[in-house]
Amino acid sequence: MGGKTKKLLRVAVVLAAWGLAPHAALAADGPGVVELGSLSNLFEPVTFNHTMHTDVAKSCAECHHHTLGDAPIDKTCARCHRANQPADSVACRECHPANRFAADYLAKLEANPQLYHTGKPGLKGVYHRKCLGCHRTMDGPTGCEDCHKMTEKGEAFYRTGKFAPPPAKHEAGEE
Amino acid sequence: MKKIDRRNFLKGGLAGGAALAATGKATKAEASGSFGGYPNSMGVLVDFTKCVGCRTCEAACNKEQGLPAPDKPFTDKSVFDEIHHGKRHRRTTEKAFTVVNRYDIPGRAEGPIYRKFQCNHCQEPACLTSCFVNAYTKTPEGAVIYNSKVCVGCRTCMIACPFYVPAYAYSSATNPIVRKCIMCYDTRLKFGRPPACVEACPQEVMVFGRRKDLIKMGHERIKEHPDKYVDHIYGENEVGGTSWLYLSDVPFDQVGFDTHLGNEPIISYVKDFLAMVPIVLTVWPALFTGFHLLATRKEEANTKENESKGRGV
Amino acid sequence: MNRLVGKGFKPINSLTKSDGSRWTVKEKLLLGLTPGEYMKVQCRNPFNWILWVIYIIGVPVLVGRFINGLGWATGGSYDYPWGLFLAWGLFTMVPLSASGFMLGTTVELFGRKDFKPIERLGLLNGLLGYLFAVMFLQVDLGQPWRLIYPMFVSLGPAAVLFLVAWHVATYLSVQVAELVPAYSEWMGLPKAKKAIRSMVLGLTVAGIILSTLHQGALGALFTYAPGKVHPLWYSSPFQWFHFLTSAIFAGLSMLIVVSTLSKWFLRWRCDDNFKQNLDKLTVGLGKGCSLALVTYLVIKIIAVAHDNEWEYLFTGWGQYFMFEITAGTIIPLILYTMAVRRDSASIARVAAFIAVFGVALNRINTALIAFNWKLYQEIPPWREVVIVLTVYSTYIVVYRFILARMPILYTWKDRN
Repeated sequence: MGGKTKKLLRVAVVLAAWGLAPHAALAADGPGVVELGSLSNLFEPVTFNHTMHTDVAKSCAECHHHTLGDAPIDKTCARCHRANQPADSVACRECHPANRFAADYLAKLEANPQLYHTGKPGLKGVYHRKCLGCHRTMDGPTGCEDCHKMTEKGEAFYRTGKFAPPPAKHEAGEE
Repeated sequence: MKKIDRRNFLKGGLAGGAALAATGKATKAEASGSFGGYPNSMGVLVDFTKCVGCRTCEAACNKEQGLPAPDKPFTDKSVFDEIHHGKRHRRTTEKAFTVVNRYDIPGRAEGPIYRKFQCNHCQEPACLTSCFVNAYTKTPEGAVIYNSKVCVGCRTCMIACPFYVPAYAYSSATNPIVRKCIMCYDTRLKFGRPPACVEACPQEVMVFGRRKDLIKMGHERIKEHPDKYVDHIYGENEVGGTSWLYLSDVPFDQVGFDTHLGNEPIISYVKDFLAMVPIVLTVWPALFTGFHLLATRKEEANTKENESKGRGV
Repeated sequence: MNRLVGKGFKPINSLTKSDGSRWTVKEKLLLGLTPGEYMKVQCRNPFNWILWVIYIIGVPVLVGRFINGLGWATGGSYDYPWGLFLAWGLFTMVPLSASGFMLGTTVELFGRKDFKPIERLGLLNGLLGYLFAVMFLQVDLGQPWRLIYPMFVSLGPAAVLFLVAWHVATYLSVQVAELVPAYSEWMGLPKAKKAIRSMVLGLTVAGIILSTLHQGALGALFTYAPGKVHPLWYSSPFQWFHFLTSAIFAGLSMLIVVSTLSKWFLRWRCDDNFKQNLDKLTVGLGKGCSLALVTYLVIKIIAVAHDNEWEYLFTGWGQYFMFEITAGTIIPLILYTMAVRRDSASIARVAAFIAVFGVALNRINTALIAFNWKLYQEIPPWREVVIVLTVYSTYIVVYRFILARMPILYTWKDRN
């Protein structure tokens, strides 16, 4: 048990609270609140309440696949990962690359056609797909700024906030 | 291969018809031809089931291509309700090379489906084959790029494009040019990087890779989730195949795709005429000179007769 | 002018005056009238008043198109990249100008010298039609100053439009050459005329090749849009043939129309040779038209059968298609046949006006109305219409200018 906790510790960028909601056994094992900020650029870091989500989730495997030793939910994964040992790391970013579209990463995929998991999404992709995927079915927040506030750079990128086009131009609808 | 041969033959015929063979310029134009698709060209596989309609791709495209400010912020979702002429959603314009549209599908559990759209970068692009100044090039990387320096502005490419993609900068009086997605060729694709929209997408809706691998990947996804996807990759065969490929969980005609385009490249529809050109060029002169000789034989005989009569008198 | 000639005025029709001295260029331009008389004649003509109105509105709009761009002057739509400029100016003007190669072929190649009185009018109709088709193109092109790019700068020889560009350019030169005799007579340059006469057969054959190909090519341009043009107006294998065969009766019908208008409004300029032969020749042209119309009609039906498009005929589009075929093809065909049977030039003239309308309808349908049939129909904005009127008026003005001066409708008196 202690070993697993240690592994989970690596997940967190910042570890805030610790076992505040000992609702279930699995909740007690994970971190409390995590700040996800490694990709922060157009948006500020996300403050992720891990405890709350472990309460809601049916199983750790919902997010952590087979890495905690549980049977994966996706039957495609289950073909290989039926009875797994817990992995060394359970952090998303350990498997899902943040540099998914960097030329060297793409070259690595290109070089080895035998590689497994070539279609594995990058870190940004899995964060959004996991969170939004669930939020949309469980009526969680789905707006961009419900989870992370837009930075000034983001406002410039999306041409919104103080970078928004003047309202007079709105009527110039292009055909 | 057969196809390419035929086309090159036709090109030669047309060039000859324009009496260009002698100038030698025809060969130069031929060398830049790019039919058939490059075996290792890159592509993008778009999975609409993953798109959430955040319009980040539109913002990324705008920034990467240095396009003018949009009429509405990219966070504004009201654009999905815009219905343009012909009861249609937004299309690509001179200011937006890619657009996302929302399609409300009754009974779809996940709610509306979103469709990202841009130039499909055809294997045998209609814009390229219809251009009389060779402004378009299909690069070995897969992008269909455009040279605004030689464009005359006839807009035949816009007539020919089956996807209604190229937009003309009608607003410019001095330098109007065609504007469309070039797959970020200059800034990214050339260096082995994916287009800006692909990288910016938070949902990673798009996968960038070799087109032939993406087709395999697409079919694998369909196979893994047969109950989810429509068993078809749009763009695998449409109008000869496109570099951008699409997966969807609702029939493609319900997300704004034309499913009646067929699998022939657009140039195939022109081939009946193109095949006729060399025939006319070679047969007509002989045929009509022959007609002339036949038609005027009597007349000539008459003149000769008259002349001899005249002499006789 | 008809009134002046009625009073005994004789317009210039030879190199020398009655006293033996040569007419000056200025006198030739003024038709032998004094400047004052000339102005008076021009002001009295009500048609010129209409032209003035068109020019007063149209010229600023035309200039505005080049200052403000196409977006200001035209529909400027992404879905309808081609508007009236091309639908009328290129796709209609060019078939209506097919008379040049038709008459060249008839007279020079088939040796039908009996069509000689109307040959030059046919050639001029061809030349001016093409010239103004190019003018319309120049108004429509985004960057007209790059018109020569497909010739010399960047070549796309596999494109149909490449063929159109080269052939129209070459054919324009051929037509200019074919009309050099008329110009050389008028200006008194006999050498030029001789040079052309020596190569007239070559020019005529070149004319047939170029015309066959570019008339067909204009049709083939639409084969690039299989999903966009309504199936009834679209045929991948036959489109070029539709455009070619319809151009034959279009050109001949336009020649009948122009000769009729000349007979009415430029009667003073027509000599007896022209006036006395015209009725007979009109029926002769009508015969050619009826043959071309039959061919066109049959291939139109074959195209529908070939693609099995019968069910489309029962839709709204089908009814419109039937209207076009009936009004534009079947009625002129019946009238032309009647004209030939009864040897009636007036029936042939009525048929010609209808046939010209029919071809214009077909071209505008293909390029605009049945184009994007699945999307929506675009109505051209007023500026686009005004520009078309202005350029077309200029065509008429130039046409009239040449007819009034050069020996087209009359025979030059002192032929060398």
